[in-house]
Amino acid sequence: MKLLLIEDDATTADYVLRGLREEGHTVDHLANGRDGLTQALGGTYDVMIIDRMLPELDGLSITRAIRAAKVTTPIIFLTAIGGVDDRIEGLNAGADDYLVKPFAFGELSARLAALARRPQAQSEQVMLEAGDLKMDLIARKVTRGGQEIDLLPREFSLLEFLLRRKGRVQTRTMLLEGVWDLNFDPQTNVVETHISRLRNKVDKPFDRDLIHTVRGAGYRIEG
Amino acid sequence: MKTRLNRAEILASTPLRQALGLMGIVFAILLVTLGFAYVALRSSTEDSIRADLKQQTAVFQVAANPETLSVIVSAEARASDPSERAIAFVMSDGRQVGNVRVTHQGDRWVISRHPEYAPLSKHGYFTLTMPLAGGLLVIGESRAPIAELTSTFLAILVFSFVPSLLVSAAYGAWVGMRARKRVSAIEETLDDLTEGRLEARVPRDEVKARKGDDLARIGARLNVMAETQEATVAALRQVSADIAHDLKTPMQRISVLLSELQEALPEDTPPRTLAEQAGTEAERAVAVFHSLLRIAQIEGGSPKARFARVDLGALAADITELYEASAEEAGGALTLQRPDAPLMVHGDRGLLGQMLSNLIENAIRHGGPAPQIAVRLSRERGAIILSVADHGPGIPAAEREKVLRRLYRLERSRTTPGNGLGLALVHAVAGLHEAELQLSDNNPGLIVSLRFVGSAQSA
Repeated sequence: MKLLLIEDDATTADYVLRGLREEGHTVDHLANGRDGLTQALGGTYDVMIIDRMLPELDGLSITRAIRAAKVTTPIIFLTAIGGVDDRIEGLNAGADDYLVKPFAFGELSARLAALARRPQAQSEQVMLEAGDLKMDLIARKVTRGGQEIDLLPREFSLLEFLLRRKGRVQTRTMLLEGVWDLNFDPQTNVVETHISRLRNKVDKPFDRDLIHTVRGAGYRIEG
Repeated sequence: MKTRLNRAEILASTPLRQALGLMGIVFAILLVTLGFAYVALRSSTEDSIRADLKQQTAVFQVAANPETLSVIVSAEARASDPSERAIAFVMSDGRQVGNVRVTHQGDRWVISRHPEYAPLSKHGYFTLTMPLAGGLLVIGESRAPIAELTSTFLAILVFSFVPSLLVSAAYGAWVGMRARKRVSAIEETLDDLTEGRLEARVPRDEVKARKGDDLARIGARLNVMAETQEATVAALRQVSADIAHDLKTPMQRISVLLSELQEALPEDTPPRTLAEQAGTEAERAVAVFHSLLRIAQIEGGSPKARFARVDLGALAADITELYEASAEEAGGALTLQRPDAPLMVHGDRGLLGQMLSNLIENAIRHGGPAPQIAVRLSRERGAIILSVADHGPGIPAAEREKVLRRLYRLERSRTTPGNGLGLALVHAVAGLHEAELQLSDNNPGLIVSLRFVGSAQSA
């Protein structure tokens, strides 16, 4: 992917750049708001990562300016604040996702992947698959190797969410937002508990695991 | 602007009530003065009519015998209108002359119409009877002047009072309506400010136009207050944004450095473990900082502008479902009791969800070895009650106030995870939603109950 990073803090920028380049992305980096906006309007990118607090021109204004110029490239907004209003403010300005500092690189990477390949027209799919696992969205039935698996409604939604994003890492917060529609961080390992119950039904009775834990990031289902 | 006023509101307005009250007093005074004048004038008129009557009898007293008197009475009778003056002479043998007939009823002489003369006065007569020349002379003076006097006074009362009553009631209603509109402009501004729309102001023309009368002054003061409040909140936000940025940047760097350190160290070695522990602690510091910032923002009241209808029942179902597995993992159970009908409140779904999560997490953490947690929702006389109960050690009555403070922790929980901000956040969210927060004894255990009164909506 071709990415743009507008971030003034050198340590954070280095870390993000190194991580993204290791993953094989091409990244342009700018440390100041004004130059960042010029670059954003001039180049073509798959996703832009914009920090909120920037010298010369802040991230909110850049995001608004980009949207005003009818550029629809997905934007991830980075912020140090993370209060109740700030999330809404960033999304209202035209950002597509939002990440509160400090964040783990895995979280950023997972969200970038999600933004670049937003599930489109997938809602018309009636059958989701991963390996020998099949999910019938109409009959709401899950089978593995022809054997029916009995899931609770929430376990079904969780598995569906992972299957629709097959091969891509989904973090705890992404799952909380996507499956439970909650955007705060519980102090208890609720997501882990739900994943482990799902594994007990989907993976444990079979010889090959489909749901994988990605260290320091989240979970991924593989075909 | 809801300037449409109903009748009850206008009737309740101060100016109209004052105008009507004043008119009542004026009417009473008018009634008393006119009453006195009427009584005095009436008695003097009566006196003069009676004196007049007496004087007239003198003419008849000159006649010495019944025949002469009959002639004089007959002549007088022909000259007088019986509706103004009645005159009759009853002779000893019962024969009568005069312009009316008189009959003796009981001890009184009653006047009735004489067929050859005009009708009697409608208002009755003042009568005088006197024995004269062996017979009886009856003279009656019409009471018409008194009746006229009465109707004149009534006319004065009606013509002086009714128009002024109408005029002042209309004026009162008009002033009342205008004052009501202006008061509701102030009320709306206050409501907006309470709801967290800090940019709300009393409209300029309401403050300026009326030469600084009391309502305009209140409006102007309110605007000054609102401006100060808005500036304070803006300053507070700026400060927290600055602090957040200044603190978060080094925190971000620490996290970055620690995760790079972890990557650099071989797995399952003591230094790697240390680096991982340091990473966890850094995450905790960030979590505490986040919570503090969040509580400060909630207490600033700003999120109120984003309030919407939230079904507390459905939200509680989502959250309990989220934690059910965790409670079971801890060897306990989490149950939800709620009515089938939706329980709507006016609020912020995210904050309410976080509040309930904190309560359930507290119960899992402090509710004893196998926490039995009951979440209950009910509707009670317009209020919605949400409670979370456990059977753990509970909180001593003396400590219940203190645990709502930021960073306060019970002595025995200092060794357990948690940052002492969970209940402070619950307290802040409850305050934002005008819900009464109560901590009570579950014998054993703790019940935290929230009573949504102001924000509860009918389904």
